[in-house]
Amino acid sequence: MSEPIRIMVVDDHPMWRDAVERDLAAAGYDVVAVAADGHQALARFPAARPQVVVLDLQIPGPNGVEVTAQVLQQDPSARVLILSASGEQNDVLEAVKAGATGYLVKSASREELIDAVRRVAAGDTVFTPGLAGLVLGEFRRMAEGPADDPRDELTERETEILKMVAKGMSYKQIAERLVISHRTVQNHVQNTLRKLQMNNRVQLTRWAIEHGLDDDE
Amino acid sequence: MRAGAAVEDRLFRALALVRVVVTINMVVLNVYRRDNYDHPWAAVVLIAALVAWTGYAIRASTSAQRRTTTFLALDLAWAIAAIAATPVLKGDDFNATIPGFWVMGALLAWAIHWHWKGGLVAGALLSITDLGLRDGVDQANYGNVFLLMIGGPIVGYMCESLQRMAAERDAAERAAAAAEERTRLARAVHDGVLQVLALVQRRGAGSADAEIADLARLAGEQERVLRSLIRQQGTVTTGPAVRDLAGMLEEIATGHALRVELATPGVPVPLPGDVAHEVVAAVGSCLDNVETHVGPDARAWVLLEVLPDTVVVSVRDDGPGIPPGRLESAVREGRLGVSESIRGRIEDLGGTATLDTGTHGTEWELTIPR
Repeated sequence: MSEPIRIMVVDDHPMWRDAVERDLAAAGYDVVAVAADGHQALARFPAARPQVVVLDLQIPGPNGVEVTAQVLQQDPSARVLILSASGEQNDVLEAVKAGATGYLVKSASREELIDAVRRVAAGDTVFTPGLAGLVLGEFRRMAEGPADDPRDELTERETEILKMVAKGMSYKQIAERLVISHRTVQNHVQNTLRKLQMNNRVQLTRWAIEHGLDDDE
Repeated sequence: MRAGAAVEDRLFRALALVRVVVTINMVVLNVYRRDNYDHPWAAVVLIAALVAWTGYAIRASTSAQRRTTTFLALDLAWAIAAIAATPVLKGDDFNATIPGFWVMGALLAWAIHWHWKGGLVAGALLSITDLGLRDGVDQANYGNVFLLMIGGPIVGYMCESLQRMAAERDAAERAAAAAEERTRLARAVHDGVLQVLALVQRRGAGSADAEIADLARLAGEQERVLRSLIRQQGTVTTGPAVRDLAGMLEEIATGHALRVELATPGVPVPLPGDVAHEVVAAVGSCLDNVETHVGPDARAWVLLEVLPDTVVVSVRDDGPGIPPGRLESAVREGRLGVSESIRGRIEDLGGTATLDTGTHGTEWELTIPR
């Protein structure tokens, strides 16, 4: 039996925090820290060294998006799973751009949460159909703007798979439908997130690129 | 009228600079033309007094309390008196008045404080005084008077506009700040309510007690409705002719008896109202179809995509699919049914509706030009 997955729960509602903590502990996970706001989360993260941060987006102090970015900067091997109540669409997209690899709304069931944590910890991405729709929309908006590196655009296959996720198909169903392996579907989905994060960085560093400071191939 | 007072303060500060310039101009011109005076020493005294008054006026006009009617009246009185003194000190055949352009200070002060009316009255008084002292009016005199009469009211009118604009801007800023604060508060309240509803749903979901399980289900329903409402709040209404398709789909997805999950690009998708209405009606038919053929417990997903020239709405269910040949036989038997009505609606909009069905479920893809 391998070590239990180490988790930090960040939520400003004590009842929620307790409920999530209890469910995760009951499922055999190790909740190493909890935090009620962004400051606490960032202060406790280095000592607790969780593998997965289960993060509410609407928290006081540095918000969920900032916490995501800072936590991943400190420890790129950590994983962030967003657990949001209202599903504020822009915040969700920003958090994903900042490096979160999972997203669930709070109405998800206990089983869905436990499964999502396991998958995020294993390096998988947890997409809800809603998030897939947002990501698709974001790539289409980017395509209408100034052309970036074509390597950061979605391939036809990636778009196809993302559309299927947005239409509620599971990775297993997609794999069967396209006659490819489950792992391949997973890889394609991960690639879309990676490209989204890349594009975010591209936008931040466009100035540098425009001034020829990027390295040539 | 705090904004108005702030604008007036700034205008009087600008006027102080004008006063300095016209005063220097007056002193230099009078020194240069000192030979024109019949009573040069009296002129020196008068000009010194004007300079002193200017210094006082600049200081006094920095504070709103000291910009009294008396002050402004005195300011204009000095200008009129200086013009009136010209024939006494220079003789009746004078050409330029002693203060010259210095009278601008008083004129503009009146225009700033009493707007176009102030500018008009001050301009008229100065003009009457000036013209009353002259035997004949030449082109230069006429030009000066004309400028006084037109400049005073125009500057006054513009000052009034500036003050009004500043007041309007302040009001708009206040309204925006209030709206933002309201939104922030509403979001905090909604967030709290959503959290509690989701929690109730979660805690009660597996309960053996039927009443609690029912409560959990109700909480879950309300949570979904509220979340959807919040998303609709962000949608724009640019007028009755244009509707946001994303918001309308959110409405129908929440309102439908099935459990419908909607994915949108996260931004409003504006379409002509009638087009959006038809699309939503077609999506409603698709969902009704799912309910009829798969059952009330079926799940459905709706995806809205915005492409450069088209809007694509997909409606998918996880049912067993439509058995092969059933649609064809329905058409042969003359039962056009729901699928033809969906197709008809979309084709009337110049779009296409395609049906894909199999063991993986049934999916409608509605493509509408935009």
